[in-house]
Amino acid sequence: MARRLEKHGEEFMKCLIIIPAFNEEASIERVIDNLREHYPKYDYIIVNDGSSDNTAEICRQRGYEFLDLPVNLGLAGAFQTGLKYAYRKGYDYALQFDGDGQHRPEFIEAMVDKIQEGYDIVIGSRFVTKKKPKSLRMLGSNLISVATRMTTGKKVKDPTSGMRVFNRKMIGEFALNMNYGPEPDTISYLLKQGATIAEVQVEMDERQAGESYLNLSRSMMYMMRMLLSILFIQNFRKRREVK
Amino acid sequence: MTLVFRLILIVASFLTTYYILKRIRQSKLQIEYAIFWLIFAGILVVFSLFPEIIALFTRMMGMQLPVNFIFLFFIFVLMLKLFFTTIELSTLENKVKDLTQEIALLEKERMEEERQRGDHLSAGNKRVE
Repeated sequence: MARRLEKHGEEFMKCLIIIPAFNEEASIERVIDNLREHYPKYDYIIVNDGSSDNTAEICRQRGYEFLDLPVNLGLAGAFQTGLKYAYRKGYDYALQFDGDGQHRPEFIEAMVDKIQEGYDIVIGSRFVTKKKPKSLRMLGSNLISVATRMTTGKKVKDPTSGMRVFNRKMIGEFALNMNYGPEPDTISYLLKQGATIAEVQVEMDERQAGESYLNLSRSMMYMMRMLLSILFIQNFRKRREVK
Repeated sequence: MTLVFRLILIVASFLTTYYILKRIRQSKLQIEYAIFWLIFAGILVVFSLFPEIIALFTRMMGMQLPVNFIFLFFIFVLMLKLFFTTIELSTLENKVKDLTQEIALLEKERMEEERQRGDHLSAGNKRVE
């Protein structure tokens, strides 16, 4: 990995790309090689979430930077591991990035530029300048948008986008607290608490390999959980900020 | 049902809800689990405010007494919850076991590496374990 400039006294901002990976043996190589080759200015860390396939083996053989979780923690736990790493290593920004090839690294720069304007979170959104297509999944996305709007008064056009970048303050808060999954309900909660969130237009690809975690019944459960959480539970939470 | 009894039910269900919300507020509870208890508390409140609903279900199911329906309903719900909790507990225990073993194995590996390095550095010097 490229040697880093000293953090203090330099204007250079350190940004870590966190890539949670659960059974991504089919796509991880392409995603990481692309990052390493074309975007060497960003550090990255893969968090292998107890995969049962060869993900860890591939990372080891190819010499990738990765954290190997011995048990499966789920997306929230895996991503939090990456954030803890970012927190300890003193990164200024951390970017959540998929290991399945959905997210395109050419949009990282625009997102990092945006967050340097002073936002807490910047979401890589598919619908800032483009319209939402009409599909079942987008209906879910709309419902979450409406629920967020109702409870916070703020608009998030693409709440389910998994491509987000967090500033130093958020890294600490996400890394050290419970109930801070990288999900729309946390976004809604933080908005309510006065965090500043911006959206930057990005494009995403269809996932190229592997199976999506969300099938129909899981999607329904996910929606129910998100809506109940945004509409009710988040109103009762007390914030524990990390200094 | 007497008025006093109804009042007790209403007060008790609201207190339960309040307590659950308070624990959520103190973030002693993960949201995944909070959702079940929130719905459960909601049902308690609804049942205590509108006991006609219970009477309706009792008739629909051909039961004699509303209290039977209440018992059947809550025992069944809690039984399912207990069962799923047992499954979660098993998964959790297994994970803790895996983690503990992993740490032990890593520690052993680390010590072996250290010993090797020590042998290289100070051949002849006996290392204190």
